Amino acid sequence: MSMPSFALVRPRAVDEALEHLARHGAEAMLVAGGTDVVPNLRAGLFSPRVVVDLKGLGDLSGITFDRERGLEIGALATLTAVAESQLVRQHYPVLAQAAGTVASPVLRNMGTLGGNLCLETRCRWYNQSYFWRQSCGFCLKKDGTVCHVAPGGKRCWAVWSGDTAGALLALDAEIEIAGPAGRRRLSLTDFYKNDGVDRIHLGRGEILTRILVPATMAGYRGTYHKLRIRNSIDYPLAGVALVVKVEDGVCRDARLGLVAVNPAPVLVREVESLLVGQRFTPELTEAVVQAVVRTGKPLTTSMSTPEYRREMLRVFSRRALRELWRENGSH
Amino acid sequence: MNKESIQLHVNGVRHEIEIPPSKTLLEALREDLRLTGTKCGCDDSSCGCCTVLVDGVPMLSCVMLAASYPDASITTIEGVAQGEQLDPLQEGFCVEGGAQCGFCTPGIILTAKALLDRNPKPTREEIAQAISGNLCRCTGYTQIYASIEYAIKKLRTTPVAAASGGR
Repeated sequence: MSMPSFALVRPRAVDEALEHLARHGAEAMLVAGGTDVVPNLRAGLFSPRVVVDLKGLGDLSGITFDRERGLEIGALATLTAVAESQLVRQHYPVLAQAAGTVASPVLRNMGTLGGNLCLETRCRWYNQSYFWRQSCGFCLKKDGTVCHVAPGGKRCWAVWSGDTAGALLALDAEIEIAGPAGRRRLSLTDFYKNDGVDRIHLGRGEILTRILVPATMAGYRGTYHKLRIRNSIDYPLAGVALVVKVEDGVCRDARLGLVAVNPAPVLVREVESLLVGQRFTPELTEAVVQAVVRTGKPLTTSMSTPEYRREMLRVFSRRALRELWRENGSH
Repeated sequence: MNKESIQLHVNGVRHEIEIPPSKTLLEALREDLRLTGTKCGCDDSSCGCCTVLVDGVPMLSCVMLAASYPDASITTIEGVAQGEQLDPLQEGFCVEGGAQCGFCTPGIILTAKALLDRNPKPTREEIAQAISGNLCRCTGYTQIYASIEYAIKKLRTTPVAAASGGR
């Protein structure tokens, strides 16, 4: 596999990076940690003329917490920095846990939180060399017209395969996006399109700059469970992030995010209405499990079967509820 | 392919090389600087063989664009020994048989070096966690743990070696 030919620019400020994007339009591509983009470039999935390297934007790597404003993380903070941050671990443990399980330790030293929220979607028909894709027939997502996962349809089912988005959806996070018209804020739930090809609401001239988690979510108990082939390296094949607030055995709030089963990370909204005001029971747990498998729809996008991944959604949901329930001493 | 003049600071030496900006650090190290101790395993960020230290932090040179790191201080396996004096980790791999085919060894030594620089007394669990992104298909890891633990012991008992370990 060989790299396409491109020029590399290394802006020192967000405005400078935006100028590069404005000048080069569709021919420009952003790279932060490089752990997703560089292998994809090598597989011939992208052929930019200009690669805009964001690593020089040093002011975008901070992590701060304020009791009123909540948590702010620069998009270039590494996953290691997020996982090891005392602020994140203390106030938003589910995020530290999810960041700490991405890929391998050495990849977390490179990969950034912003990059993890902007990952390319993945599919076994897509994440292959040009030679492989040509030999097996190109797919809808790249160079072809047919989806090999669901040949009858006209949409792409490549999977959202990031870990931190599930935790951040559960934590009701927002993101800040810088663009030609200034900066805008967006709820993370509105960032994802549930389309394997056109996955996020990030315009060609825009850059994700910060991740913001509300102060009201600080102190929620949380846990993240995931499936992958090799537990030290691989992308997730199913992931469940749950946060709850429990007082005297009664659930006051609960939010559950799913990753690695659909073309977008998704919040299972029914979980909140099922659990709030209730005391935990095994029957409620099963109701949550049913809501989860109604939302999570794994297909044959990976080497694991959809049935196995769906079953693991059930297992993870049960485990997550039991874990947070026992920890709260409500039973 | 367009070539550009690129600076790299490797093992304390400044280099200026003419390479295309799309070249990875791994390729630049091996092909342009002839530092072939850094190995190309999967070339897809899944195996850890190409691990180098960037400002003391382990990273995978197969997914780094060389042109992105002109300001960084890069350490490869060639920069670990002090002249003829092996690093305690290298000595540990010799004594405890931590290397069989040897292909994963440079990456594991660099990953372990970064671990010991941060945490001089890691538990075996912490060692296993730290090197979990470095695949070894020969040893079953037992001798690798023993090799790293040899270095931990040596660094504790010989302060001189400890001082040189913090580069």
